[in-house]
Amino acid sequence: SSALMVSPAIALAFIPLLLTIIIRCRYYFVLFYRAVLVRIWKDCVTGLSREERAYQYVLTHATPGDPDSILDAFDVWCSKVEFISNIGPKKGKILDRLLMEQSPLTVLELGAHCGYSTVRIARSLPLGARLYSLEMDARNAAIAEKIIRLAGFDDDTVELIVNPSDEVIPLLRSDYGLERLDFVFMDHWKKCYLPDLQMLEGSGLLRKGSMIVADNVLFPGAPKFLRYIRKSGLYEWKVHRATLEYSKGIRDGMAELVYQGIK
Amino acid sequence: EREREGEREREREREEREREGEGEGERGEREREGERGRERERERERGREGEREREREREGEGERGREREGEREREREREREGERERGREGERERGREREGEKERGREKERGREREGEREREREIERERERERESEESEVRPESLSPEELEMLKEAVYERKKLVQGLRGKPWPMKEKLVTLRESQEFVEKYEGALGKGKGRKIYAYKVMMSKKWMKFQRDFENFKTACIPWEMKIKEIESHFGSSVASYFIFLRWMYGINMILFCLTFGLVMVPEALMGRPYGTIPRKTVPRAEAASAMDFAVLWDFGGYAQYSVLFYGYYNNQRAIGWLKFRMPLSYFLVGVGTVAYSYMVVIRTMARNANESGVGDDNSFNFSWKMFTSWDYLIGNPETADNKFASITTSFKEAILEEQESCKDDNIHLTRFLRVLANFLVLCCLAGSGYLIYFVVRRSQKFALEGLETHTWWERNEVNMVMSLLGMFCPMLFDVISALENYHPRVALQWQLGRIFALFLGNLYTFIIALMDEINLKREEEKIIKFNITMWEASLYNATGSENSTALPVTFHPADVPRGPCWETMVGQEFVRLIISDTMTTYITLLIGDFLRAVLVRFLNYCWCWDLEAGFPSYSEFDVSGNVLGLIFNQGMIWMGAFYAPCLPALNVLRLHVSMYLQCWAVMCCNVPQERVFKASGSNNFYMAMLLVILFLSTLPAIYTIVTIPPSFDCGPFSGKKRMFDVIQETLESDFPAWFSKVFSYASNPGLVLPFILLMVLAIYYLQSTSKSYKEANVDLKKKLQTVPETRLSFFSHLAPLLLLLCAFGYTGIKFAV
Repeated sequence: SSALMVSPAIALAFIPLLLTIIIRCRYYFVLFYRAVLVRIWKDCVTGLSREERAYQYVLTHATPGDPDSILDAFDVWCSKVEFISNIGPKKGKILDRLLMEQSPLTVLELGAHCGYSTVRIARSLPLGARLYSLEMDARNAAIAEKIIRLAGFDDDTVELIVNPSDEVIPLLRSDYGLERLDFVFMDHWKKCYLPDLQMLEGSGLLRKGSMIVADNVLFPGAPKFLRYIRKSGLYEWKVHRATLEYSKGIRDGMAELVYQGIK
Repeated sequence: EREREGEREREREREEREREGEGEGERGEREREGERGRERERERERGREGEREREREREGEGERGREREGEREREREREREGERERGREGERERGREREGEKERGREKERGREREGEREREREIERERERERESEESEVRPESLSPEELEMLKEAVYERKKLVQGLRGKPWPMKEKLVTLRESQEFVEKYEGALGKGKGRKIYAYKVMMSKKWMKFQRDFENFKTACIPWEMKIKEIESHFGSSVASYFIFLRWMYGINMILFCLTFGLVMVPEALMGRPYGTIPRKTVPRAEAASAMDFAVLWDFGGYAQYSVLFYGYYNNQRAIGWLKFRMPLSYFLVGVGTVAYSYMVVIRTMARNANESGVGDDNSFNFSWKMFTSWDYLIGNPETADNKFASITTSFKEAILEEQESCKDDNIHLTRFLRVLANFLVLCCLAGSGYLIYFVVRRSQKFALEGLETHTWWERNEVNMVMSLLGMFCPMLFDVISALENYHPRVALQWQLGRIFALFLGNLYTFIIALMDEINLKREEEKIIKFNITMWEASLYNATGSENSTALPVTFHPADVPRGPCWETMVGQEFVRLIISDTMTTYITLLIGDFLRAVLVRFLNYCWCWDLEAGFPSYSEFDVSGNVLGLIFNQGMIWMGAFYAPCLPALNVLRLHVSMYLQCWAVMCCNVPQERVFKASGSNNFYMAMLLVILFLSTLPAIYTIVTIPPSFDCGPFSGKKRMFDVIQETLESDFPAWFSKVFSYASNPGLVLPFILLMVLAIYYLQSTSKSYKEANVDLKKKLQTVPETRLSFFSHLAPLLLLLCAFGYTGIKFAV
């Protein structure tokens, strides 16, 4: 018994701590299960990627040409079947409201993933507005393209650019002939938020009143981005507090920045 | 009232007109009076000019003037502070005024007088303008005639009186302010002129001194505030974290004060006299380390466990001798020991109950439920917050609380989820009960095991096994509240209610742990007493053998003297109990500090610096910084105090240790709060919680004195250690003192007084008195509630009646009038 350093009673006294941690972090455990374990298992079983599975579901369950039903199908799949980090219905409503208020003519979306947020933005744009959507991954971009066309948006409304954001942003003015951006939606790699924002500032596309919305600034989180906007006096900003998409207990936020320019 | 005002206004106007006429008449008279009069007039004017000059000078000295202004302001504030009393006086005065017409007449007269004075002033001003060109030379007020001087004096006196009684006057505020300013200016202007020569100097000196005195008083107030220990620290914390966190620190400070007094009592009346006047170390067996332990008595490990030299010192019960009087002072040591033990408990009871009563007076009657939204609207702001971040948090929390309250209101209207909530609450309580039972069983198990180890001999076991009981108790005390906190999220209570539930649960947990510990201790005491019996028998055998060995030759001579370290001795259960409590306190303190350092400081450091290179936001996201745990800290403090009360009789060093601990934790926790905690997300006011803490403290005091008194009353003291050795019971010391130190009649009276025939009626009387007082206080409370209700309802109805009905009535009148006209 001398080999046993700590007596079992002391070890038992740690049970409440263990329980506390399990209960406190239950949402994270659930998320881990749904986003990682289930995904790996399904990948092995079906041989398709997650996005392809989602596309199949949407294709079979949604009405073509109706963005709302496509979004609903996505929501059902993401909350019931598997997990994809789309913007989700709750934060999506905030996004819709901001778009309605702003009614932007030129919109840039960083990170289309499989087209959920693209459809969401495109359906609440005014007539004559144009959305440039960036996606780095070619396979995801292919699915996003299909989804966007399924929702009934043509090339004039939504232009999908398959390239990493740090390559595209400097070319926006020269290659795509953009004068200004009214609205930017960021939902790609969280680490790229800050460099991309700085690149946008440098490109001169942001004008006074341009709005930038960044999703997932609290979880998974973009602390450097938040610190930067806090320090640089260029923006009027606030964080809409919400929960992570398709999950109740994980707190997340969406940052809303309005470019003020150098005063 | 408006009517009365109008009347007064009219009257004043009339009076003014009269006065003007009089003034003109006077002027005419004065003109008629001739040269002397004019000269005097001129002289007076010159005097006034001088006054004006002086005034200008005064104005020039801007700083002093401002200071005076400030002082006046402060004075006014102080007056406002005393408002309640004066308000009451004013009420009375107003009542009297309303009662008597005569009184009102006098009032009017006074008003007239005031008007007259104002008029006179105006006249003076006019004359001054007329004779502005006249020579400007220094004219002293000696030049005033005695009658005028008298008049002036009277006027100044009247003004002063007016200023004093102004508060009670039924005038509008505007008029009051104007009058106040005018009369103050008047007094300031002419008061200096009243004295003559020497008198004036004295007067100036007096004014200066009074100002200096006021300044001194103010500085003294500041000094007094600065003298309150840790006041600034607590205020700073309050400004950052709101009143609920500050209430903990105030409680801690209060506790520190009490422990200071307990420490003074035990240190001054028990430990110091024994150390100075008692027999020194090494003279008798109980004051010497036994031979077997002597080798390791100075080891740190032994001293850390309060064995060795620490055990055989004034720190513990066993060291004290049963000698009745010690030193040249003939200090009654055993009596003092007993009385200090009783006195500390009595003092604690007194202080706790007195504080509770005072707090109860302050809290008054409040029902939180009836005007929920009004309460929220008008009382939810915490005015002590001074930090913008906390203010933001508070703002957010008020907003959310409004949202929640509205939602709750809707929910209560819907009333469909009540079953779910009830079920969840029951479930939460069930889980908590399970947890409590589990922890209780674990402690019981550990205590049993430790008894087994003790029987086998502690040396064969590891440090972990020897300290198992303390470790398990500390760990459970640390982790179970966290679990309770998580479980209580199920219940969805208001944070204040949730805090009380949480406190209650932790209370139950700690109490269970403490009582398990005490039961285990009782078992150990019984074991020791068995051991003592055997040892006592052995000692008599040993002495007899010694006696036989030496006494065969010479029965009268003393046997061979032994070194006190070699004399066999009993186990001394009292010292054992004291040691256990001291160890418990030490391990508890260590756990608290280590939790603080790891749970708060280390976490804060990690969150702060790992955040630069982490994939999610540590500060805003998951681990975040810790919040200050009010409930856990308060309960820790309370239970710590309970252990002090329990163990202080057997270990006089406990209050000293506790003072040290509280002192350190004051600084440490202040630092930790400011350095590594964030304000609570749901800041709430803790105004009512102080009495809750006190109530818990009282319960703990009772529960901790219970076992202490039980051991004192029922278990006979050890035969060879402590101040009561050789007595049948510890409290026999009182009887002994009565018999030997007091005259015979006193003990006789005492024995009569302690006769049950007298004591029982006395107790009965006391019970009756308590019942009477309780019922009267209840009726007072009811009356208070009634009055409050009336206060709430009467003005409302009156106001609404007038505001709604008056225009309606006017309209009706108008319509009626037009209708009549048409009819005509």
